[in-house]
Amino acid sequence: MKLFSEINELYRYRELLKNLVSRDIKKRYKRSALGFLWVMLDPLLMMLVFYIVFAGLFGNTVGNYTAYVISGITMWQLFAQGTSVSSSAFIGNRDLLNKLYIPKSIFPFSVVASSLVHFIFSLVPLFTIIIVSGTTLSYNVIFLPFVIFLIFMFSLGISLAISTLAVFYQDVVYIYNVILLAWMYLSAIFYPVSILPKKFQILMSFNPVYHYISLFRACLYDATIPKTEHFIIGAVFALVFSLIGWGIYHKNKDRIVFYL
Amino acid sequence: MNTNNLAIKLQDISVKYRLIKERPKTFQEHLINYLKGKRIEAETFWALKDISFSVNKGECLGIIGYNGAGKSTLLKVISGVMKPAGGKVSVHGKIAPLIGLGAGFDHELTGRENIYLNSSILGFSKKEIEEKYDSIIDFSEMRDFINTPLKNYSSGMVARLGFSIATEVNPDILIVDEVLAVGDDHFRKRSKDRILEFRKRGVTILFVSHSMEEVKNLCNRTVWIDHGKMKMLGEPEKVIAEYQSRNV
Repeated sequence: MKLFSEINELYRYRELLKNLVSRDIKKRYKRSALGFLWVMLDPLLMMLVFYIVFAGLFGNTVGNYTAYVISGITMWQLFAQGTSVSSSAFIGNRDLLNKLYIPKSIFPFSVVASSLVHFIFSLVPLFTIIIVSGTTLSYNVIFLPFVIFLIFMFSLGISLAISTLAVFYQDVVYIYNVILLAWMYLSAIFYPVSILPKKFQILMSFNPVYHYISLFRACLYDATIPKTEHFIIGAVFALVFSLIGWGIYHKNKDRIVFYL
Repeated sequence: MNTNNLAIKLQDISVKYRLIKERPKTFQEHLINYLKGKRIEAETFWALKDISFSVNKGECLGIIGYNGAGKSTLLKVISGVMKPAGGKVSVHGKIAPLIGLGAGFDHELTGRENIYLNSSILGFSKKEIEEKYDSIIDFSEMRDFINTPLKNYSSGMVARLGFSIATEVNPDILIVDEVLAVGDDHFRKRSKDRILEFRKRGVTILFVSHSMEEVKNLCNRTVWIDHGKMKMLGEPEKVIAEYQSRNV
């Protein structure tokens, strides 16, 4: 099958995948005095800003508000960073794609992968703050890899679609950034769903990211087992969107080089 | 002909570009055009049309033609960068493309990091790269600068590194597109020697050049591409004589 041959090609080029991800991380902090420390400092500072801004507004609406808001923003970043950077995955590598054979999907894939690496580093300040703020870590943390896998697949699907469509229509980049902004406010990152009117709460279940964030929080500090509905809906969204993304990419991949 | 002896076989290869006068780049323009009932003005341009030939293992095929004749497109089809609109390509063996040397270089990274990055772009594993690492540096004569970011290299140095990486492999097929003009005289001679060495070793070579001298010296057959079509295929001397007589 076509999908398997693409996966096989990606595996053959795994060294490139690794190099693209490590280049991304190296380059981002190369010129800074604190260098690699920024991998953790950056999410830490962002967590603090979000906490300070929103604690006054929603601080009393949910217990463990600190843990609530910073876990939400960390998970959101994994998704938002990966998918928004991927809009230039093909366009930005125009020279290479025009001259050498490379399995093209390696570029959106590496963007999402490097976002995942950043996420993993940001777990360090995240865990630290959660513990310092007096919240106990949950045993559910063993479910974490599975939750990460789900949001990774979901992000990958979106990235494949966005990176491909952006080759044909530049607008996709701008539209997507606006969507992301709205999406962030609609994902119950800073506020609990319970403060929303009933009908909006129902709409929330159509938001894939909401499910991943809920699962993530449950994994970190919720004493009860994560709700199965989040797992099931999250998994369905991950599967459907990764297949849609693959479909859009696969249908257009041979045309991409003519439009770059 | 014995098929085991084939390196490349092209059957009726056609590549089509759509040259759109004003390509609508945005949804908005698309929508406006659609509402106005305006059709996109697209001209089909055949970059290649019905190209068929085969190259045996160990052959060196020269590819000549004017700028824009379709030579580079042909190489892109063979190396798998482009899928042809029609026809069939079969390639037997590992290709080393000397096209756009250093296209994958990142100028913020050091020479060392770029060797790893660029070799992996060519599809090599970490082990293979490590094995070749020293000879890449030796051939490029860049040992003193290997930990310097590429942005501090001269363009000749960048080209030398690119050439060294791309040729420090054991390809079955080597695609050379106008790259022998890189670096200083000293390096140019060394890179020519290296191509000759490949030739002696029996590596199949596709050689694009505007230097008829080089084509005559290196190749045993030559194809002349003109406006996307195969104008002539045969012994270099004959093809070049014909090409040059039209050229005047």
